[in-house]
This record gives sequence, C-alpha cells and structure tokens, in this order.
Amino acid sequence: MPFKIYGFPPSTCTRRVALVCKELNVPYELIPVSIPKGEHKAPEYLKRQPFGVVPAIDDDGFTMFESRPVARYLVAKYGKGSTLVPDPKDIIATAKFEQAVSVENNHFDEPAGELFLQLVIKPMRGLPKDEERVKTLLATLNSKLDVYEMVLAKQPYLGGDILTLADLFHLPWLYGLTEKAKLDLVTSRPNVARWYQEISSRPAWQAVKDGA
Amino acid sequence: MVLTLYGLAAPLGGTATVAMTLAEKGIPYTFVSVDLQHGEHKQPEFRKKQPFGLVPALDDDGFVLYESRAICRYLAEKYAGQGPTLIPTELKAKALFEQAAAVEFANFEPHARAAYNEGVLKPHFNLPIDASALNTCISKLSDNLDVYEVILGKQRFLAGDEFTLADLFHVAFGTTLAEAGCDLMTSKGPNVKRWWKEVTSRPAWLSVLNSGIKTTMCEDDAFKSGVSEP
Repeated sequence: MPFKIYGFPPSTCTRRVALVCKELNVPYELIPVSIPKGEHKAPEYLKRQPFGVVPAIDDDGFTMFESRPVARYLVAKYGKGSTLVPDPKDIIATAKFEQAVSVENNHFDEPAGELFLQLVIKPMRGLPKDEERVKTLLATLNSKLDVYEMVLAKQPYLGGDILTLADLFHLPWLYGLTEKAKLDLVTSRPNVARWYQEISSRPAWQAVKDGA
Repeated sequence: MVLTLYGLAAPLGGTATVAMTLAEKGIPYTFVSVDLQHGEHKQPEFRKKQPFGLVPALDDDGFVLYESRAICRYLAEKYAGQGPTLIPTELKAKALFEQAAAVEFANFEPHARAAYNEGVLKPHFNLPIDASALNTCISKLSDNLDVYEVILGKQRFLAGDEFTLADLFHVAFGTTLAEAGCDLMTSKGPNVKRWWKEVTSRPAWLSVLNSGIKTTMCEDDAFKSGVSEP
C-alpha cells in the first residue's frame, strides 16, 4: 500500500513532504486536493485535516497532517540509518536540531510565507502589493538571515555538523523567494549562499521543486 | 550541576513555558532576569547566548540552548526518568504528539500572540488598540478553537489521552488571552473549557503563577509542589 499524500502539487507544504519522501526513497501516491477549487475546505477533506489546509497523509491506514511532523514520522518509520533527524540517544545533537527546527518555524516561515504571498501570489491574482508591508517583511527576513549568516559561519548546517530536516524545511519558501519573487537574499551572505546552494542542489529537491 | 534560565520574570511567553516544564520535572534551576525594558536582550553580551536577541535561553553547565520549545523538549528528554512523560516514544503516539505540537505553533500561538500584543502590550505602552486587528486575531483563534472543541471531545489531551508538551505549550500565551479581553478558552465550548481548566490547574503552572519564576531551592515547598504526579 503506497504512502498517500493528499495535497496540491505546487503547495509549499505538500512539496515539503514530497521532498522527504524522495530523500528517503519512499514512493508516494499524490491524491490531488485542488486549492483553487476549494477542495481543501470540502467536508470530505476536512475529515482528514480539520483545519482545512494541505497536506494530509495516509500511511496504510495511519493518518496525520502538518508537513513537518509528517517529515519526522517518515524519518522515524522509513529512515533507518538516516541522519535527517539525530539519534534520540544523542541528547545534545537532538537539542541543537530542535533549536534549528524551532528557528525555521518561529523566525523564517512567517515572514518568508507572507513575502511570497505579497510578491508572487497577489500579482498572480491581480491584487495590489502592500508596499509598506513588503518593506517590513523584508526588513524582518533580512535581519533573521543576518543571524543565519553568523550561525553558518561556525557550522555547516543549522543544526550542527550534519544536514537535517531543519535545513530542508527551508527549501520551499527559499526557492520561491529567490526563483519566483527574484529576491536577492543570499549573494551578500556567503555562508547562507554556500548552505542554500548545497541544499537546493540535492536531487530530492530538484525532483519536487516545481511540483510534488 | 545547576541549570541557568535567562528570561523575563513574568508568567507569560517562552520563559514561563520553560519554567512550567522545569516545575513539571522537578528540576532545580537558577533564574537570571534579563532586563528587557532596557534592551539587555539586544546587547552583544546576551546575543552570545541568543543570537536573535530574544528570551529565554538556557545554560546547562556550558551547553547553551534557545527557543522555548526546543528547551522544553531538551528537558523532557534529559529528565525522561522523572516526573510526567512529556513526549511519547512509540512511533505513532510520537507522530500524533508532533502533529499536536505543530498545530499549537501554526494555529494557536500566532493569533494568541497577536491578541496579546494588541490587547495587552499596546495599552501597557499607552498606545491605542487597533480594534479591528484585535478582532481579526481573536476571530481566527475562535475558528481554530472550533476544531480543538471537536478533537477534545474525543480525547483528553491534544496528542491523545496523556498530557504532553503539546498541551503545555499553550498555557503561557493562553493565560494572557483573558487579559486581552478574550475569554475563548472558557467560552468556546465544554471540551476546550474542560481541557483548559485541567492544564492550567496543574501544580507546575500554579507554582509559576503563585511563586513566580525564580531560582529554586530543593527545600522550597512551593517548588516541590510543582512536581506533578507521573
């Protein structure tokens, strides 16, 4: 029974789950839930994801949602030998991983996501940009990436010496902001640039970057 | 070996979340108050511990960690053998815990924090409240708590039938909602009300509220009372 992803191929969070499936060589079946058609708010889908967002998964009857927890579950179940999540017995490495995961969620995700909305989604829908809001969001995101630059000067990855989910979680928004919104977030930051170049050229990301 | 918690000496936000976890596990610690009012958290000295210039931060005998949820997870793992089990270990139970913790981060915290900033912080600094902005975040929170009402009708806590960090992460910001003029935690529905009462009545939270966030002494009765039964 293949791993099922109920999602929308271009969606950030759907691609985040597909990315980890590719990293772990877990074949998946993508069952489309169309955002433009509002299928994510249909009663049938709400039974899978009561908050009405994509994706949701079904692993041979085990159902869950939220892309980052799904990623953790994939590594726990299918990632024997994978270092995408540190060995739980290594409490220090795990703590540094959790710190990096929290930083992505707490500091990066929101400004990055809203900037993408302002700079890419709104124009696509013929809506005007909120220039003041864009200025504020850019200032916030840039100040966070300045910290990333400092952190990545001392260690190759956000959680320490090994690439983990904490690094990969950034890919959908960073790709969108650099490639679609054409923002220059990395050239003035050599350590961030080095890190982004490495994670974005991974075959797993190349396979899903434009659609899960 | 004593842990040092750096943060705000008030029962709100990340510092209080960590203090509650320390109390749940009965872990003694030294508390160092960071002078937010005078910008101590933005100074280079503090930024060595927390490069984003925020509180809290934890120093465990030289190992420094920041981000309140990461700190709580670290404490839960390091002290897994004492106090309640705050993070399940079985594959599916742990996945459902992670799901609930992510829901807190995505669907509760942003709106609760926005309501706090608008409805409590602004008046504190004599700034006018933007009623429309306050209503928006309360309305979003209300929609999400409709889902909590359904979930908590089927199980005792957010990750299942055991109390976990996923519930604990709600307590500090949820408590400030009433101060922002929002009574959703008790008015949304009987299930949310029941759950909210249960998580906020835990001795660990009461010790943070009543005794404050302060350096603990093992002989301190108020602190000892914060150790909940496993």
